[in-house]
Amino acid sequence: MADDIREQELARAAGPAVPLDEAAVDGLPADDDAPQPVESAIVEASAVGTAAPTATTARRGVRQLLPSLSAKLVVGMVITIGITLFAFVAPMFVQDPRYSGNEAFLPPSADHLLGTTKLGYDVFAQLAHGAKGSLMVGLIAAVIAIVLSLVFGILAGYLGGWSDDFLSLGTNVMLVIPGLPLMMVIAIYAPSRSLLLVAFILGITSWAGAAVILRSQARSLRGRDYVAAARVAGEKTGRIVLVEIMPNLLPLLAAQFLSAVILAILGEAGLSFIGLGPNGSITWGTMIMDSYGGNALSSGAWWWFVPPGLMIALFGCGLSLLNFAIDEIINPKLRNAPAAVKSVRRARRAGVDVTARADAVPAPAAAGAVTDQDRETVGA
Amino acid sequence: MIRSTARKRLLTAVALVTGVTLMATGCSGAGGGEGEGTEGGGGRVLNVWAGSQTPIVANFNPFAPTVLHGALGPVYETLFVYNKAEASEPTPMLGESFEWNEDGTQLTVTLREGVTWNDGEEFTADDVVFSFTNEASKPTYLVSAEATDATTVVLTFDGPQYTNEFALLGASWMIPEHVWSGKSAEEMTTWTNEEPVGTGPYTVKTTSDAAYTLVANESYWQDGKPAVKEVRYLGIDANQSAEDLLKSGDLDWTGMFVPDPDGIAAAGGPAGYVNTPQDPTVLYTCANADLGCAGPQTDVAVRQALNLAIDRGTINDKAFVGLAATISPTYALLGRDDQWIAPDVEKESPQSADADAAAAVLEDAGYTRGADGIFEKDGQKVELTLTSVDGWTDYNDAAKLIEEQAKAAGIAVTASTVSWQEFSDSRQSGNYQLVMGGMIGTSVADPFQIYRDWFSGDYTQAVGTQLEPGEWNFSRYANPVVDEAVQAAAATNDESAKKAAYATIQTEITRDLPYIPLVINATQTFFNDTDYTGWPTEDDLYAFPPSWGSVSAGYVLGNLTPTE
Amino acid sequence: MKYYARRIAFYAFTLWATISLNFLIPRLMPGDPADIMLAKMARNGEVAPGVEKTIRLLLGADTDQSMWDQYVAYWGNILRGDLGVSVTKFPTPVTELIGAALPWSIGLLGLATIISFVLGVGIGAIVGWRRGTWVDHLIPASTLLQSLPYFWVALVLVYVMSVNNSWFPRIGGYDVFTFDGPELTWAFVGSVVYHGFLPALVVVISSFGGWLLGMRNMMVSTLSEDYVTTAEAKGLRTSRIFMTYAVRNAALPSIAGFGIALAFVVAGAIIMEQVFSYPGLGKLMITAVQGNDFALMQGLFLVITITVLVATFLMDVVYGFIDPRTRSNG
Repeated sequence: MADDIREQELARAAGPAVPLDEAAVDGLPADDDAPQPVESAIVEASAVGTAAPTATTARRGVRQLLPSLSAKLVVGMVITIGITLFAFVAPMFVQDPRYSGNEAFLPPSADHLLGTTKLGYDVFAQLAHGAKGSLMVGLIAAVIAIVLSLVFGILAGYLGGWSDDFLSLGTNVMLVIPGLPLMMVIAIYAPSRSLLLVAFILGITSWAGAAVILRSQARSLRGRDYVAAARVAGEKTGRIVLVEIMPNLLPLLAAQFLSAVILAILGEAGLSFIGLGPNGSITWGTMIMDSYGGNALSSGAWWWFVPPGLMIALFGCGLSLLNFAIDEIINPKLRNAPAAVKSVRRARRAGVDVTARADAVPAPAAAGAVTDQDRETVGA
Repeated sequence: MIRSTARKRLLTAVALVTGVTLMATGCSGAGGGEGEGTEGGGGRVLNVWAGSQTPIVANFNPFAPTVLHGALGPVYETLFVYNKAEASEPTPMLGESFEWNEDGTQLTVTLREGVTWNDGEEFTADDVVFSFTNEASKPTYLVSAEATDATTVVLTFDGPQYTNEFALLGASWMIPEHVWSGKSAEEMTTWTNEEPVGTGPYTVKTTSDAAYTLVANESYWQDGKPAVKEVRYLGIDANQSAEDLLKSGDLDWTGMFVPDPDGIAAAGGPAGYVNTPQDPTVLYTCANADLGCAGPQTDVAVRQALNLAIDRGTINDKAFVGLAATISPTYALLGRDDQWIAPDVEKESPQSADADAAAAVLEDAGYTRGADGIFEKDGQKVELTLTSVDGWTDYNDAAKLIEEQAKAAGIAVTASTVSWQEFSDSRQSGNYQLVMGGMIGTSVADPFQIYRDWFSGDYTQAVGTQLEPGEWNFSRYANPVVDEAVQAAAATNDESAKKAAYATIQTEITRDLPYIPLVINATQTFFNDTDYTGWPTEDDLYAFPPSWGSVSAGYVLGNLTPTE
Repeated sequence: MKYYARRIAFYAFTLWATISLNFLIPRLMPGDPADIMLAKMARNGEVAPGVEKTIRLLLGADTDQSMWDQYVAYWGNILRGDLGVSVTKFPTPVTELIGAALPWSIGLLGLATIISFVLGVGIGAIVGWRRGTWVDHLIPASTLLQSLPYFWVALVLVYVMSVNNSWFPRIGGYDVFTFDGPELTWAFVGSVVYHGFLPALVVVISSFGGWLLGMRNMMVSTLSEDYVTTAEAKGLRTSRIFMTYAVRNAALPSIAGFGIALAFVVAGAIIMEQVFSYPGLGKLMITAVQGNDFALMQGLFLVITITVLVATFLMDVVYGFIDPRTRSNG
């Protein structure tokens, strides 16, 4: 259920989250004797798999960190960048979203691309300003969430010992407290809610999931040689965390950040719908609320009600696709395995089968035999 | 992990069987459940929505804050029924006639004979006396209530109380002494009274958390009534859901805001419809600097200018979907209270914006237009904050429109929404500049109660002090001329004396505008006139139509007959 | 053993923290519940002085006791099961209201979450198994589904299915026009299932995408493991590799997440229950929030958190069973 941010976080965390010692984040095989944090089943969610990935020779250096171009990535980028541009550029070119001089409930036409609302506001203008509002909320909330999860995650994972126990206690408590009710309780005590306040509330209630993942990663990285070297050289904790550990976790952070953005936008839409959203701002969530309260459905004004929901979904889809691409960097198996299967199939069709089980005699290794090395270079 | 295939197959089989059973019962249950159960005689059950939300908690105690609508009117009755929709004489119910003495300090009521409570006991004058003197409902101005004989009660007051006639005769619930005596004041408020003993046409049959059902009172004092034997009140949480149920024909009577009333009948819902606009929607202004109000709205010129700058026609069309009625700045309900409107005051508020006139008013008062188009005086710009309750979309929309219209006239209004609690706090304490809110329309064809409760200096407090319950003068307006006229009008029952006093009041308030009138809010009622007759309609508004009308709701229910 | 002891200690601490938080929040907030109730009552007409006195007595804030005394009294009330009296449904005790709504939440939403989990994990396993084929192209579609605001989906579904077509009922947990209250008959159960279908559908649609994606990724990772390659090389049946080697390991994180999801069922698709007027805890929460009913809000928050804690703890126990590594390392 998408209404609970944390629950969604975990469903995601359970999936593409990097298996603990699978971390190819810094290109090195996982530590065999990295201690397994056993605090909770939640943390253990990522502790599956034991073998280190095979070293790839294809990409090195910075290129290794960037996602490879695939259809999913391209679509994701197009959608995300497209909507972001729409949010920041379009408001300059559309009618004032609060101009009520138009007739009410006009269907889409040349004058009003998406028709008008009950008060005569132009829906397309509202959508553009709403995009800006929603994106702002998403961004600010995600930044707050990521910063908090950095502290409670990476710092805790790196420091270990008492500070780790203390910080992860806080994390686990926040994980368990249900998100939407907590947000409702906080929001109701605020006399009037600005965009900033709503983003703040969303941020402080949704960092726990990411913190858990980051912590387990930091714990495994703690044992690496270069980190030990830095410690021995006398570098301060802060510097080690910022310079040695965090850059290796960048893909993971990026993925969590994108998740946080979409969850914040969904969360704001939910809060707006029950009347606890930002007063006075236009976001996609307030548009849905206004259209519901303005009886858009029963008046048949689908052009008011449908676009904001679709935009949220589209933006989320774009971000998820980006996340997918990032997951493929973090977890090379996601990139390699489908490619491997594809090449096997191709080989089978070409008449060269190296994996046939039914045959007693393996097919001769013909000129076009597919080898392990070839499989790696096929790419994703 | 289940390794044995046999066990796996068994589990699948069990799951399938359970699933099929559930589906089968689901279909049969649904199929059988959609038809209406025919209850004994009198046709099917009348389905009503009066505004209750789920979960419904059984509480039929008329003194409890969460009493259910079915208790007020259908179960408990008052002495007379006053018609809120039209100017007419009160209809006798449990009382047959009443008479004031010379100076309004004594009211003699003659009771109806032969009325019994629904538990068989007789309704007597002692019950009436108890209803007026018990701790939970005793009015502060009542000195004594006496049963001079079996069918006569004399109420004595500490001063002329003509203006409380409705409160005494039309809104005081008659409760049986033999059930309620001996309860402390606390018990009287917290008792849930799940099997109420009243004189009304219905008694309670069942209550669940989603609906409660009333069944006809066999010993009702009106023979042959009620003809509708069962009434079901539903609990519905969102207006949208109620509208959908109306359209599908599942509701027979409701009073709610529907922006497209014709669409209901068109979609197959009940065809009966009547709109009786009742309650003024106004902008409360904190108007009295002497009592602590702060801001440009304390200057009467600013209020007058705002009054002229507002385009009420557009507000009605866009925010209230054209369903609201024109308001009079005298707060007499146009149509019903016309006789009380003085001839030389403004009868109707201006329906279109006149930015020039507004500017003229401000300029005459010494304001000058600044570079940004906003008026200012002594370096202070005319900037006002306007708040409305979150979720009240029609008010919020109107506030947005006012913000636009005021700007065109040179007044900077900033509209925002707040929670209900904050709205209530701000108006109770006076810490606001402009608030969009409603006034309670009078229950009789006489605007006096508005003048007394909302304009009189006795019914207000300084800014920072909360108003007492019963005090409604949020604007802190205190005008000795108005106060005197209000007291004069209270002390007499003579029409011409009252008219003279009202004329004085109206001259003052239409000039001072402590509340800026906007519209009269619609009160829509939808009713099923195909299956039932006897409803109040536009041609015959014998009672206030909506299902939540309490006394009138009971009266209407008793009047209905199913068409056979 | 130490693993379980640590977990229990953690949960006990969280419980204490939540209850204390619950105690603190309303006391930080301005306004007197008695004033609010009186203001609401005054909307309907004059409030008699006797009634006013009673309300103040019952609801007024008691400022004589010190914070610590109030805290101790609060704990005493909780342990006795007294969560106070609801203001919006005065004078019903909060425990009664919550007790009535709990079965609906757990019943419908629990069932829907289970269905969503089974469907999502099942389809995710298949999609993962068929990695590299056209099935991979389903993924963007499921991300789109997952990002739809679920209450928006609910409204659209309601509009299409109930209002325009009357295939499904519009509101409620059961047919109020036929049944006067919950009863123990098959017809009633049927009505419950019929009314629960749309809300369950919304829950399933909006959440199975998450399970699907997670499971798919885990499957792909797991299938690249050496032991799977070994199993294939040994010549084991495909279905055996699929179930016993791949799914069993890939599903572990999803199961951990499922525990949390099941727990958060009680927090309920709050908004969805509002749209369907479904009598669960979520709708009660909205009623409390909109009516400024602090006692009810606190009670709900407490119940929800405790349920989450209990469910998480149970899942931890179960997880300890399924995955021996956690036990041995703990």
